[in-house]
Amino acid sequence: MRIALAGNQNSGKTTLFNLLCGTNQKIGNWPGVTIEKKAGIWLGTDIEVLDLPGIYSLSPYSADEEVSRSALFNEDIDIIINIVDSTSIERSLYLTTQLLELDIPLIIALNMADSLAKKGLQVDHKKLEQLLGVSVFPISAKKNQGLTDLKQAITSNTYLKREPKKIFDINIEKELELTQTSLEGRHRRFVSVKLVENDPHFQYIQPSGLADSRTRLEAQFGHDAVEMFANERYRYIVAITRQVIVAVPIRHSISEKLDKVFLNKYLALPIFALIMFAMYFVSVGLVGQLTADWLTSIIGTFELWLTNSLTNWGASPWAVSLITHGVLGGATTLIVFVPQLIVLFLIIGLLETSGYIARISFFLDRVFHALGLSGRSLIPFIVGSGCSVPAILSSRTIENDSERNLTILLTPFIPCSAKLPIIALFATFFFPAYSGLVSFGMYFLAIVVIVLSALLLKRRFFKQKPGTFISELPDYHWPHPVYLLRDVFDKTWEFIRRAGSIIILSSIGIWLLASFSWKFEYGVPTDQSLLAIIGNLISWLFYPMLGGQMSWGAAVAALQGLIAKENVVASMAVISGISHGSGQVGVIFDPNGLFGFFTPVTAFAFIVFNLFSAPCIASIATMKREFKTNGMMLKAILFQTSLAWILASLIGGIGTLIMKGFGS
Amino acid sequence: MTLSHLKFFCHMKHRGQKLKLLPGNQGHLSDLSIGQKARVIALHSDDAARRRRLLDMGITSGVTITIKRIAPLGDPVGIYLRGYELLLRKEDMANIDIEVLP
Repeated sequence: MRIALAGNQNSGKTTLFNLLCGTNQKIGNWPGVTIEKKAGIWLGTDIEVLDLPGIYSLSPYSADEEVSRSALFNEDIDIIINIVDSTSIERSLYLTTQLLELDIPLIIALNMADSLAKKGLQVDHKKLEQLLGVSVFPISAKKNQGLTDLKQAITSNTYLKREPKKIFDINIEKELELTQTSLEGRHRRFVSVKLVENDPHFQYIQPSGLADSRTRLEAQFGHDAVEMFANERYRYIVAITRQVIVAVPIRHSISEKLDKVFLNKYLALPIFALIMFAMYFVSVGLVGQLTADWLTSIIGTFELWLTNSLTNWGASPWAVSLITHGVLGGATTLIVFVPQLIVLFLIIGLLETSGYIARISFFLDRVFHALGLSGRSLIPFIVGSGCSVPAILSSRTIENDSERNLTILLTPFIPCSAKLPIIALFATFFFPAYSGLVSFGMYFLAIVVIVLSALLLKRRFFKQKPGTFISELPDYHWPHPVYLLRDVFDKTWEFIRRAGSIIILSSIGIWLLASFSWKFEYGVPTDQSLLAIIGNLISWLFYPMLGGQMSWGAAVAALQGLIAKENVVASMAVISGISHGSGQVGVIFDPNGLFGFFTPVTAFAFIVFNLFSAPCIASIATMKREFKTNGMMLKAILFQTSLAWILASLIGGIGTLIMKGFGS
Repeated sequence: MTLSHLKFFCHMKHRGQKLKLLPGNQGHLSDLSIGQKARVIALHSDDAARRRRLLDMGITSGVTITIKRIAPLGDPVGIYLRGYELLLRKEDMANIDIEVLP
């Protein structure tokens, strides 16, 4: 058996899905968190559950909504569980009236009844069941209530089997019935409505006389058929909700009070800036300063112990170097950043689940609209501070293609959690007291770069007319601690897992190339290694941004960033380990070492290049998938890399000249 | 000239600037200020998909809308209808004909 979860955006479908299937799919509090169809197995049963992106009607508006519509039409679905958000029951039931036109059994899960109670309202679910003629189960997905009854009804097949209800005006119903007789196949009532509506997707069938009847109906109702059906549905729903909503005196909700502050005319923007500042100040600044030195010294002690033990056990020098520098050098350097990332993920999680992101979209829409983007572009720009891949995917809720493509192109500019170690590595050495400020500064710079790029590219992308911003504003929700912690754990574990897999593999590659000459002699000075030869081929590209330095090491590190951005730090640690005996922060930047030439100015330029140049391979693949063409993806990468190079070269070149001027 | 017209002119004289719609007046949803309530008369938009979206979201003729909030930069606007809050831009609100309610 197969069940589909269908409902409005942000109605709690994924929360229910996670609960039913024991999964941990991303949840959030903004309209359109789920952008792809997800399948799972209901725990303790053999029922397959499909989680679908939220929709407001069966006429899709954006790419994610089309996924749901086509799944409902084209897949074998035995039952639809229609999640109805009881706090916005009128709008939720609008979709229900459409789902009821399909030839698929339907059960209503009435969600968020507890939130409704906070608003001082109650829904008489028995009455609702009686009026709609389908089973209604009040549940709270968040608090895991009411699911036993729902499961019982499905497994024992005891839910109400409905008869199609005639909900429209008698004249419309007559016309639908007439149209239906000329149709074959499934969902005949639904298709009839679409035909009477003259929906462009259904114009391949044209029953005779339909156009005349439509004109007659439109004359009777004084609206075109599309509006006539919308009006009729809402008329039916209002008649129902009048009977099922038991009003109790409304208290002032907490959301209202919070919005007085967070959406205040004068405070909204400063508060947003403050929150983003706090995000980096607390993670990289406070927590970074508290933990980095301590972790570095522990790892240093471990490295020393390991080197000594291996040597004592009789391991040859190359084996010791392979293990301490090649296998572990890069990965252990990255582990230093784990505490900072935990805090970063926690803050991103809070922003995502509280409902604040939807508000940022709202109050910055004006600015982004002017830039050829949409308020919804803000969602990728916040999610992107964790990882670009889900961020790029989240742009699917933007219905306008040009706005969406521009958003996809600009999202990788946001410093993701893998780029954070690069910033932190340089910042803790060159600007030790201000690492939090530097990290926030980089986020801020990314926003500036996004704005300028958007202005530059707007014309190119705007071949079609600008899109719009139509979105519901969800109430604030107190984040569920268990889900929040699980989300933070998953993201942190993913970082560690990558450090232990792809980063170690890349590091071993770097170690091999850096340890051998082109004649395969081991133990040559790193300057004569294979890696140096490769690096020297491209090091001229980095000449301007490094203030007139040819550094094959920096070139190779930046190139490695294509595999994963953490690799920039890991590669530097491995190379420094081989040439200098250790890859720790202080040693990496030793004045006599390979990276000793870095000055605060060139460090800044190098960070800028790594931040804004082509993203990692995973993001590139996601960009390609979302653009749907290779050409567009290549153009995007070329734009990103050229922009990064120009910016970094300007900073490094001019900055170094100025500093020299001061010096002399 | 009806009473509402008179009220309207008096009001304009008072403010001397942007005209504010009074109960009984007709206009566009975009003309209202925070706290004002109106009944939708008609919805027209050249963009069929966008118009359908607005209808789907509950902006049908006869529905009562209250202006809840305006973004700090003046656009978009939060309107309250059918028990929830919808955000939309003024350019779309200009396509919605309304009659102001007391």
